[in-house]
Amino acid sequence: MRRILIGAVAAILLVAVVPLAAQQKFTLPGIPNPNVATYPPEIGKYGGTYVVSAISDPRTFNAIVSQDTASSAVTDVMFDSLVDQDYITGEITPALAESWTVSPDGRTWVFTLRQGVQWSDKTPLTMADVLFSLKAIFTEGVDNSIRSSLTFDDKPVQYRAIDARRIQFRTEKPIGLFLRFIPFPIMPAHKLSDVLAKGGAEFSKTWGINVNPREMVGSGAFLLAQYVPGQRIVMLRNTNYYAVDKKGQRLPYLTRYIILTVPNVEQARLKFLAKETDAYAARPREFAELRAQQQAGNFTIYDGPEGFGSEFVVFNQNPAGISGPKLAWFQDVRFRRALNYAIDRATVSQQLHAGRSTPAWGPVSVGLKLYYNPNLPQYPYNLDRAQQLLAEAGYRKGADGTLRDAQGNIVEFVLSTNAGNPDREAIGNILRQDWTKLGIRVTFAPESFPSLVGKLTGTYKWDVIIIGLTGGVEPGTGRNVWLTTGDLHMWRPNQTSPATDWEREVDNLFEQIAREPNQEKRKALYFRWQQIIAEQVPFAYFAYPKTQPAVRNTIGNIKLGLAGVTGTLETRYYKGVLRP
Amino acid sequence: MLQHIARRLIQLIPLLFGVTLVSFVVIQLSPGDFLAEVRLNPVVDSATVEQMRRNFGLDQPMHVQYFKWLWNLLRLDFGYSFAYHVPVMWLIGSRLLNSLILNIAALILAWLVAIPIGIHAATRQYSWSDNSLSMTAYLGISTPTFFSALLLLLLAFKTGALPIGGMTSLDYDFFPWYGKILDIGRHLVIPAAVLGFGAAAGLMRQMRGNLLEVLRQDYVRTARSKGLGERPVIYRHAVRNAINPLITIFGFELGGLLGGAVVIEIVTGWPGVGRLIFDAIVQKDLYVVMGSLVIGSVTLVLGNLVADILLAVADPRIRYD
Repeated sequence: MRRILIGAVAAILLVAVVPLAAQQKFTLPGIPNPNVATYPPEIGKYGGTYVVSAISDPRTFNAIVSQDTASSAVTDVMFDSLVDQDYITGEITPALAESWTVSPDGRTWVFTLRQGVQWSDKTPLTMADVLFSLKAIFTEGVDNSIRSSLTFDDKPVQYRAIDARRIQFRTEKPIGLFLRFIPFPIMPAHKLSDVLAKGGAEFSKTWGINVNPREMVGSGAFLLAQYVPGQRIVMLRNTNYYAVDKKGQRLPYLTRYIILTVPNVEQARLKFLAKETDAYAARPREFAELRAQQQAGNFTIYDGPEGFGSEFVVFNQNPAGISGPKLAWFQDVRFRRALNYAIDRATVSQQLHAGRSTPAWGPVSVGLKLYYNPNLPQYPYNLDRAQQLLAEAGYRKGADGTLRDAQGNIVEFVLSTNAGNPDREAIGNILRQDWTKLGIRVTFAPESFPSLVGKLTGTYKWDVIIIGLTGGVEPGTGRNVWLTTGDLHMWRPNQTSPATDWEREVDNLFEQIAREPNQEKRKALYFRWQQIIAEQVPFAYFAYPKTQPAVRNTIGNIKLGLAGVTGTLETRYYKGVLRP
Repeated sequence: MLQHIARRLIQLIPLLFGVTLVSFVVIQLSPGDFLAEVRLNPVVDSATVEQMRRNFGLDQPMHVQYFKWLWNLLRLDFGYSFAYHVPVMWLIGSRLLNSLILNIAALILAWLVAIPIGIHAATRQYSWSDNSLSMTAYLGISTPTFFSALLLLLLAFKTGALPIGGMTSLDYDFFPWYGKILDIGRHLVIPAAVLGFGAAAGLMRQMRGNLLEVLRQDYVRTARSKGLGERPVIYRHAVRNAINPLITIFGFELGGLLGGAVVIEIVTGWPGVGRLIFDAIVQKDLYVVMGSLVIGSVTLVLGNLVADILLAVADPRIRYD
């Protein structure tokens, strides 16, 4: 009897203890708490090369100075930040910081650095590097845009090191979105502090594209090995990386990561089909054709979700730029709504995206499921309705077919966009045709990108422009566009006080969003913001196109995430047979 | 002769001054500036953009900027690129060799093809081969380079025989020296062919026309009646005179060797100087554009000078002082 009891107790203990044992903590030599990648579906094997193409050349390898996508493609891989973003959920995840806390009043954040992380030259990565990077970001003369993200209410964020492993950040007012603003690259103090001492301008020139890769050290998964201008960038595996897979094996799996420079998207596609590269972000209208070639090309093309960027037409409501009847028309919400009804989104979707896009009524992409408001007022294509709304607002179509406002002025304006972008030029033609049917005299005149931006942000002398904006997981970071004081508040930038009630409401919403740490409450605020924009139509949006990434079948750990991203670089692995 | 050369070199200075001044003013006057892209970033505020403007010296009045640049130029400092934060000379120098390789290959191809065919066409005027060659020449001149380049790229893609654009393969650095030459050669086929044949078409017509004119001259008739064979008449006497105008053209082409064939480079992805300068112009990366203008002007004048000297050497009737 006693033996059975002991046996039973032992069995119960075993059942309780064994799961605990299975949750063993992995360690790497010197790193008691490495970053564990739990999301990838498979355990990969080591070795192999992953080749991608890029349209432009990087402009610098200095992570703090880097502001364009081509440079970030290298520096984001080579230099980690305190935190990272999960590509499937969009949440902020630990990177060089292993944990963080926030004070109850939401103003103070403390990040704890991961212990034992080393630079690629085996020098320990310490608080000194974090402080040095922050110093460099705020040094006068260092050409960077990170400074903007770390400035709240015109004051730079206050920071200090509490001890060797913890750094504290403090803001005047609580910033709920703080984690979205905090990612900044951490650069090695032991290599660059001398240069920073010589001044900001010198620092901006360091580790540019003329650097000898042997002089650089990084903390990321891959390190720059070779840069051939105009041709390719070769990155090699960082054997000192602090992340592991679910089995405790050190990441990354791949040995080489190569970025080929190609002159345009057509060549990127050709190289992908010729098996010279392993990945290609196809355009919506290429989806059907590429799907048919999957077998022959040994790749898989995925039906991805919509991206986060937006494309829209904006009407100038700025008295500093235009005046007279034009200003009156564009400031008239009924005019804007009427023209919104005359946008043939179905044709835009069909012509540009072969049907692989969703009509857009507001500023948040349908791909951002977290915050997308599905119940916005819609403006389905209806020229009669548009004409009716115009008539109600006092714009009459004369016997000669031209539209005139209540004072008798002929409604005419210039529609512009950046030349050389075939999608936007196509949209411009579609808009011109439909708006002409309403009786408006539209002149469509694309111009060069710098010239366009000069007008949008400098002279303000423009009528109607088709343009786009990039987007992220948290729309609250786009302060420059939506706050009335922002200089990208395109229809009427740099206001001293809000010109309309709805703009004042949007200002308040964005201030609340910035302070709100609770995602559900932020969602309600975002919903209200989208409602206002859809009602007031300062921007008339077109469509949100889907993404369709294509990846060679020899690359493993492919899992579709937000905005068409198929995985992280450190978890990809090569499935093929390796050459000796 | 030496006096003449010295005089030509001295004339280079006011030319450079004029070219750079006009270009500088035009670039500055055109709307927008280098910071256009940054301004359109929703996360960057205007204070940061203003500081960037100060860093780049773009907030200073135009003449201050120009004279600062000129002063640096006299000390052979071409300034820094706004986009890349590297010295302009390093930037241009990193691609110059690539452009040189392409231009030399195209030059050799063009002349090797054009001269013999031109001579052939002239000596068999109005024959079947002359007419078909002329036809091909017209096609070559009228087809836009980007179109022929695209066609060839597509052909390369379908047949898999040639690489699709670029200058070197992925594993270029692991090849032995002869492998490297072969690799660049394979990548050179399409761009050099397009550039070369495009130029050859025009050159061939020139050669043909000049030779025809020379063959009508009295001294050629005299040489024939002297009993000289057709071959020495053509090659020893006629061609030597017919080629004079082409030497001038050759000199011009020498002047263009350091330039970039922008269209070809963009279409085939050849990493040359043309694409770099084109992008700099579009982005308004001021000092890169100015640097490339200086190089272009200098090589143009030097090329012309070489052309004139070659002409004086080839043709004893020409003397300069």
